[in-house]
Amino acid sequence: MDRRSFLRTSAVLTTGLAALAASLKPLMEMEGFPTTERFMQKYYKEMMPADMDKVLARITNEVEQQYGLRPHVRDYKPMDGVEFVYCLNLTRCIGCRKCVHACVAENNQSRNPEIQYIRVLKMPHGSLDIEKAEHNYNPEQVPEKGFFYMPVQCQQCRNPPCVKVCPVHATWQESDGVTVIDYDWCIGCRYCEAACPYWARRFNFTKPEIPKEKINPEMSYLGNRPRRQGVMEKCHFCIQRTRQGKYPACLEVCPAGARKFGNVLDPNSEVSQILHTKRVFIQLKEEIGTSPRFFYYFDV
Amino acid sequence: MIQATKNYFTFLRRCARIAFVGDWRYYTWMGALSVICLLGLNAYCKQFAHGLITTGMSDEVSWGVYIANFTFLVGVAAAAVMMVIPVYIYDNEELHDLVIFGELLAVAAIIMCLLFVTVDLGRPDRFWHLIPGIGEFNFPASMLSWDVIVLNGYLILNIHICGYLLYCRYQKKMPAKWFYVPFVFIAIFWAISIHTVTAFLYVGLGGRPFWNSSIVGPRFLASAFTAGPALIILAIQVVRRVTAIVPNSDNPSLSIGNKPKELSSRAASIADLDLLACFLSELKSVSAETKRGILPSLTVLDVEVGAILLRQGETDKDAFFVLKGRVVVEREESGRHRITRSARPGEQFGEVSALAGTPRMATAIAEEPSQILRVPAETLRKLMKTPAMNKIVHARMAERLMITDRALMTLRGIVQVSMLINVFLLVCEVFKEFYSANLHSISAKYLFFGLHGHHALVPWIWTAIVLNLTAMVLLLLPVSRSLKWLNFTCVLAIVGIWIEKGMGLVIPGFTPTPLGAVVEYSPSLNETLVCLGIWAFGLLCYTIFLRMAVPILQGRLTKSNEGLPDADVSATLAAATARI
Repeated sequence: MDRRSFLRTSAVLTTGLAALAASLKPLMEMEGFPTTERFMQKYYKEMMPADMDKVLARITNEVEQQYGLRPHVRDYKPMDGVEFVYCLNLTRCIGCRKCVHACVAENNQSRNPEIQYIRVLKMPHGSLDIEKAEHNYNPEQVPEKGFFYMPVQCQQCRNPPCVKVCPVHATWQESDGVTVIDYDWCIGCRYCEAACPYWARRFNFTKPEIPKEKINPEMSYLGNRPRRQGVMEKCHFCIQRTRQGKYPACLEVCPAGARKFGNVLDPNSEVSQILHTKRVFIQLKEEIGTSPRFFYYFDV
Repeated sequence: MIQATKNYFTFLRRCARIAFVGDWRYYTWMGALSVICLLGLNAYCKQFAHGLITTGMSDEVSWGVYIANFTFLVGVAAAAVMMVIPVYIYDNEELHDLVIFGELLAVAAIIMCLLFVTVDLGRPDRFWHLIPGIGEFNFPASMLSWDVIVLNGYLILNIHICGYLLYCRYQKKMPAKWFYVPFVFIAIFWAISIHTVTAFLYVGLGGRPFWNSSIVGPRFLASAFTAGPALIILAIQVVRRVTAIVPNSDNPSLSIGNKPKELSSRAASIADLDLLACFLSELKSVSAETKRGILPSLTVLDVEVGAILLRQGETDKDAFFVLKGRVVVEREESGRHRITRSARPGEQFGEVSALAGTPRMATAIAEEPSQILRVPAETLRKLMKTPAMNKIVHARMAERLMITDRALMTLRGIVQVSMLINVFLLVCEVFKEFYSANLHSISAKYLFFGLHGHHALVPWIWTAIVLNLTAMVLLLLPVSRSLKWLNFTCVLAIVGIWIEKGMGLVIPGFTPTPLGAVVEYSPSLNETLVCLGIWAFGLLCYTIFLRMAVPILQGRLTKSNEGLPDADVSATLAAATARI
């Protein structure tokens, strides 16, 4: 190779490499680059108890580092002989959205950008046509005359389309009927979000932001532990509470007593009573065949 | 075995080197594409660091222009390979030389598809969860897992078929049928499956009535068969143009018609046949008796550089074998000269028209001082009575790079029919949505007319409809038989389908949301840059593939010129293929 072509080749190479380096530069702005440990983490269902302990310890440390308080992270398993069902009394709901905010606080949802699992629809009386719903109502006082309110969250379907479409089994239905997500396994393709007929799934379009003082330290692996950028999340019936026999946060906060929750396999539970005695109850978009575990009813 | 591997790596090394050889136009084109690629990479790095918030997507419209492009390109990839049906099933000779271009286009399109899916992932670092056997693969329940299999399988199939055929051509060897024909048939089946699977990705979602319609699959195929061949029509004309040689250029050796046909000839001797047998071992199987018998009819021509051995359009009945030197075969079409092949010692030319008695399809010019054995058609027939000779002569007949106008017209026929079907299926869909006018037609209403004051897609879809209808009318009119109009029509069809099938399918599926909210989507600048970067990368790949394939198909890059100094090979290549 002569001097001239050598010089030319090296000039082209240098420019090329410099341009490549310049285009890769935004990667430096990234926080929380996946560590080898996180990169190699096993799938939830393949983890041995010892693996899970390690992962829980790691999550505890990560949360402590980021938010400055030591959380209590556990992997709550479903209880035997339990199938959770939610019933919501549309006659009672006043559309105050207290459930929305209690849910955000309980489940460590991102405050910026805002992620909420529950969407309350304001509907004109006499119709269940969702196309007529108003999402962003903001009156002085609720309820407004001539309207009723329908909160929608994950319906915990018996035939969940989201589970069927996930290409990596990152979401599945547990024995107590709750569909959960392994946030450390989700690849963020958002196919489940497209598949959900209830618009119940949310995606972390960027790194979630939660003020330190707002962190709920009672956490579960498949439930409310803080999520990372680029993964899906959704309502999981507050498994960190309900799998310990407590009510979900949205129910506890409801001032109107519109929300009922319990074990449908127990014939004496409140939800069993409602499903047996109430004459009108609705499964949203029943015709799609998803068979929700979330029932809307009226006091008739 | 080791030798074979070594040979193969030499082939790859030489192919790779060619990608860096070209004239200033080639460098400008590649440079511009590289710059756009880097801009796209830069935009993607921003997205990787900050998340998909850098795009215009939201929880309401959770797929955007990435998935729209993906859907369009799957169609292109599928259609590009379907070109092989006329060739392998109906033995359509006109399209024969286009098969490789089609398959290479498919490879480039699949690479783009895979990139578009990857940039759409929120956690690309977890891609390994998708690898069957290593990750957790939800097969067969998830249509996305099917897509992973069919797309990657299709990529491998096509790389195998083109790679093998090109390598054989490089070695001047007959491809072993069992080693590629079964794969060709699998690829045909597979091409339909990749697009059907992609359609099912949408169709399978019961909660999205706009997609949950069985007509989506057939519509995908129809639009793919319109856009894919339309793209090939454009691509092969570009190939034709950049491989053309302008007459009267600075290199007189390749210009036609500036030298009279002066050939000094002598009678052939057995020594000449022995010389030919050194390069053409099949000749050894011809009996000495036959050889002696044909000797009187053979002539050896001693020619200078630039001597014309036969001219396009003439009718004479001789075939030729190169004994020494090199001969280039050029064809003139639409006012341009293009090298269709180049013959080296042991190789033949002029045999097709000699045997068929048709006018010469091309002009043959000596590129080096050469010795040529002239064989009358009758004598060639006698030689071909030996099975080995028959086989090799027939095999060599296929070794040319012909892109005829008739091939383009065959493609036009395919585009024409597919466009009609495509428009018909669109009408079916529109009728069903608007005549019944039930709750489910709300997305269609949003798409075509806007909803509650939101009209983002309305101008787009009507543009697409106008483009498609215009293209359909033009395709039906004889005016599209002229290449200029055909190209214009193809551009209309491609753009129309890109809009209709990309944004016009993906976005309305999300609008309004299942809870009735109308949130509009428009791609962000960063997202657009990523898309441009991927398109530029795809074009870069396709250019490189063509840069390698064309000289191989022309016989300019072969095993026999392996020994030559690289500079020499590059120079002939540059002269042959890159002088525009």
